[in-house]
Amino acid sequence: MNNKIYSLVIGVVSVILFWIGWVSLNPANKKAMAQFISVQNLINENVSKRTKLGGLVKNGSIEISELNQLECVFILKEGDAELAVNYNKTRPDLFKDGAEVIVTGEYLNGIFYADELQTKCASRYEGDLRNESNYNLEEIDI
Amino acid sequence: MTPIAGSVALNLAFGCSILSIITLLIYNRTSDHRLFLTGQRLGLAVSFFVFIATFTLSYQLLISNFDIDYVARYTSFETPMIYKVSALWAGQSGSLLFWLFILSIFNTITIIQNQTRHHSLMPWVIIIMSATQAFFLILTNFITNPFEPTQAEFVVVNGNGLNPLLQNITMAIHPPVLYLGYVGFTVPFAFAFSALVNKDTGVLWVRSIRRWTLVTWLFLSIGIILGGWWAYQELGWGGYWAWDPVENASFMPWLTATAFLHSIIIQEKKDMLRIWNMILIVLTFSLCIFGTFLTRSGVMSSVHSFTESSLGPVFLSFVFIILLSSFGLMYTRIDDLRSPRKIESVTSREGGFLFNNLIFVVICFAVFWGTLFPVITEAITGDQISVGPPFFNQINIPIGLALLALTGIGPLLAWKGTSNRKLIQKFTLPTLLALLSALLFIIAKMTGYVVISFSLCVFVTVAILSEFVKGVRIRTGKFNESSIVALYKMISKNRSRYGGYIVHLGIVLMFIGFTGHAFDKEKEFGIKVGETEQVANYNFQLTRMYEQERSNHYAWITDLRVTNLSGDFITSLKPEKRVYFHKNPDINKRQPHSELDIFSTLNQDIYSIFSSVNNNNDTAFIKIMINPLVKWVWIGGYLLAFGTVIALWPRKD
Repeated sequence: MNNKIYSLVIGVVSVILFWIGWVSLNPANKKAMAQFISVQNLINENVSKRTKLGGLVKNGSIEISELNQLECVFILKEGDAELAVNYNKTRPDLFKDGAEVIVTGEYLNGIFYADELQTKCASRYEGDLRNESNYNLEEIDI
Repeated sequence: MTPIAGSVALNLAFGCSILSIITLLIYNRTSDHRLFLTGQRLGLAVSFFVFIATFTLSYQLLISNFDIDYVARYTSFETPMIYKVSALWAGQSGSLLFWLFILSIFNTITIIQNQTRHHSLMPWVIIIMSATQAFFLILTNFITNPFEPTQAEFVVVNGNGLNPLLQNITMAIHPPVLYLGYVGFTVPFAFAFSALVNKDTGVLWVRSIRRWTLVTWLFLSIGIILGGWWAYQELGWGGYWAWDPVENASFMPWLTATAFLHSIIIQEKKDMLRIWNMILIVLTFSLCIFGTFLTRSGVMSSVHSFTESSLGPVFLSFVFIILLSSFGLMYTRIDDLRSPRKIESVTSREGGFLFNNLIFVVICFAVFWGTLFPVITEAITGDQISVGPPFFNQINIPIGLALLALTGIGPLLAWKGTSNRKLIQKFTLPTLLALLSALLFIIAKMTGYVVISFSLCVFVTVAILSEFVKGVRIRTGKFNESSIVALYKMISKNRSRYGGYIVHLGIVLMFIGFTGHAFDKEKEFGIKVGETEQVANYNFQLTRMYEQERSNHYAWITDLRVTNLSGDFITSLKPEKRVYFHKNPDINKRQPHSELDIFSTLNQDIYSIFSSVNNNNDTAFIKIMINPLVKWVWIGGYLLAFGTVIALWPRKD
């Protein structure tokens, strides 16, 4: 490589690395990054910026709006900490009582308004073995 | 008995792999040819025992032997036959065995293909391949054995069945194709390592693996595209790429492998970039293993991850060993790796290739950085930061557009250097047409990256087509052939060059599809039978909603009549809401699933999802997405595969 090409290579790589660093510190879209935080810390510190929480959907806590079935409220449980989550979009198929979920959004007046809701997925499908001897087909109702 | 046979086969394979390595290491010291033959045969024996283990597990999956834990977890009596086969790679231990199976096929092909060739390189090639097999045999023998017997407190009369999301033909094909890509890079890496050991880093090893690398790259490309296609058709979020860590894990080796494919042309033709090529193939192979680490370690929060397991540190150690041994060896061979010739001009084809390589590697670094950003920030600040698609898009769109520009610039440059007169002659038409089209796009109220991307697509298309036109003109003038005959003969006489150009055209079409994402529209709404909802320029009328019980699920089906704003019928969409395992009395074990319906045209896709149903007031909740130009991504993928096949097609002579 002659000096001219060498300088150009260094220049191009430097510009791109600067660009990567700059975007890492100053992302243009607020959805670009979110801080992962525990439910307890979120409540204690009243964090208002965009955050990501993980936990389980408390059994029996899912309430779906009668008027708008897209809107639902549920309790996210992480250890002993519990938090009401509002979500107003299409829910993932695996969203249900006891599901392990990750929600992303903002905390406001005691409620976490999530705009992203992820559940365990396809390749994580490794539950308990099916015990078919428990089935009583006549009693099953969809 | 049979599970034991499978386990024994895996044990024997492990023993043979270690013996093969030891025998060939001794051969390297003694040069006793009998030892080479023994090592070679032991290498084949490893593959033979792995084949036995794989066929054993496949057979047990087919006959539903629920005494094996893996069979009970991933199949049931209701599982269709094709998905019993694909269950082989649906779970962790099975997928590792499948990986090993493909590696063993490649090992066998490499040994047989090179029985009378590359005598100096083959001992170390077999050692590296056997060592990689030994690594996967450690995993399948001692950490996650696919033949573990079922341990339950009750008689398992039926298995769990395969996850409904994986009961899709694309998902049955996508993992094996991707694995063919991942695993295939073991062969070029083995040749590169062998060349380093033998201090023979010239063009020999590059020539011996160029076609193999291209085949592997093709599989990896198709695997990635199929993954996107499956996500688009099955997951119901309307996209095909989410910058998920596992998607990134397949994209990173693709980027370095693409750079490698370009730069080995320079080494083959000009004997330049020896060190660079070594670095690229070491990185590619390491990234393939690193990708598996990302998937299985649980270090990253991914929608794809397998259950967290103890496999992570084992994979990371293997990556560490590969990097340390390869770069250590490169350091000791630095004199041999110095290329005898140097790139002389920026406006040469070598210069174009160099910058194209740099951009591929920098994009790979950007993806790597974004993927590991949460881990890095946690290590530095203690805070866990999650990174979303907007971060990757903001970083990669401008760099990707620069790469798109180089896709057109590179082929127009001449070897050694291009004179100013030639530059003006070759670049005038593509540049003028790109500028003219940019003006038209701006008049059509498009802005920013959209204008740049579409204009660059015009630039690259014109640049590449002008190369075809130039070649045909020369042949028609010189040999008095018709244009069709001239085109055919021109391509068949220089398949790698024109195949490569067709691949570039495929990439252009994919960029058109990616750019269409800027115009996406979506709406979610509740609707009753007889009601109509407008989304963009279409009306959606719910004409019917009914229920059906099928063999392995229960379904609610909607019938949406789609018309344009003038009332003309466009199509009928039937998205479904299904519940799999609906007979399970435990409601938490039933699995809902949205079966989409998509009306796809060259212009746009109308994507419908049946989100949920309220049986109390007969309301269906529907999500409609209008996704422009998505089909061009898949058409571009076909063209990419077609171009690669042309480049690979053997010449008659």
